[in-house]
Amino acid sequence: MTRAVRTPAGSRPALAGALVLTLVAGGFAAWTGREWYAAAHDDSAAYAVQRDRALAAGEQAVQNLNTLDHRRVEQGLDLWESSTTGDLHKQLVDGRQEFTGQVKTAKTVTTARVLSGAVTELDDRAGRARVLVALRITVTTPDSKSTEKDSRMLGELTRSDGRWKLSGLGQAPVGGTAAG
Amino acid sequence: MTRLLSEPADDVDAEADADGEEGVAPVGGLRSPARRRKAVLPAAVALLLLAGSAFFHFADQLRSTPSARNHALTDPAATTRVSGDVGEGLARVFSYAPAGADAAERSARTVLAGRAARQYTELFAQVRASLVEQRLTLTTQAVRTGVIELDGNRARLLVFLDQTSRRDKAAATTAAAQLTVTAEFRGDRWLIVDIKAR
Repeated sequence: MTRAVRTPAGSRPALAGALVLTLVAGGFAAWTGREWYAAAHDDSAAYAVQRDRALAAGEQAVQNLNTLDHRRVEQGLDLWESSTTGDLHKQLVDGRQEFTGQVKTAKTVTTARVLSGAVTELDDRAGRARVLVALRITVTTPDSKSTEKDSRMLGELTRSDGRWKLSGLGQAPVGGTAAG
Repeated sequence: MTRLLSEPADDVDAEADADGEEGVAPVGGLRSPARRRKAVLPAAVALLLLAGSAFFHFADQLRSTPSARNHALTDPAATTRVSGDVGEGLARVFSYAPAGADAAERSARTVLAGRAARQYTELFAQVRASLVEQRLTLTTQAVRTGVIELDGNRARLLVFLDQTSRRDKAAATTAAAQLTVTAEFRGDRWLIVDIKAR
């Protein structure tokens, strides 16, 4: 038992204590490591990020599509087109010329402010989402009269190339049948 | 232990130690195997604690982002529940007929709390008179409900309402209303604690 002799008196329990401490520390590291891994690979966290991105993009796009200045129609409509995709995008592109004429004749300036918005549906895999947006729209006519109107809109978003864009937009009907 | 932790060169030392200096604690420099053995465990403990703390910190950071803390839609059951409770609650307290004023006020007590309850009491005091006088009937329906934020017992929602009012025998008119509602889960249901018209 040479080793026993060599060990300084009292270090056996100390060694055992140190080993226990090491094990506890190891357990702690293993547990927190697993927690970290779980947090980093949490599907619902990734889903939550997509939800927030969809909402931010949706609110911005709805605001963009309700904003137009007759002095800068081309810029405004470019923004409309870059905020949209799918059917809605096609509609805007098709109707662009006619619409430009109308706005230039009416000489109106329309601005919009998002009051509140929420995502009601999100299919993360398919890259589709639906949003509700409450909006205040201000229309200023050439005689500097401005009117405010509250609007409630339903938007449909589609993710293309990692970016959420509006693919459908309409007023939430009043007095219709309840849904969602 | 000793074998695993010692390098071959030190092994010779160790044998010598064992043979010649029985019972004497090694007092050599850092290269002394016993000294080194003593240092290994604390170092390992320190390293593990450090790693553990780092993992803990990063895990916490990932989970406490505003995105992750908001359970709207990520917890579908709770999202549906709060939407249902709030939509139904709004429909109940904002629907009244001349004869049913008391019923509406009673149901308000089970659906509203906090600031919303106080707002409602004030509003209803004004409405009550015209309810009977003008034979006013109001029917409210939540047509769309979206959960903006859901964090534990607290939630914020955006609700689109249709309000159909009828004065005596005149034709009914329907108006749109947009509200943001703050709700709190108390007991067994979500109570509306604040209402803001949008």
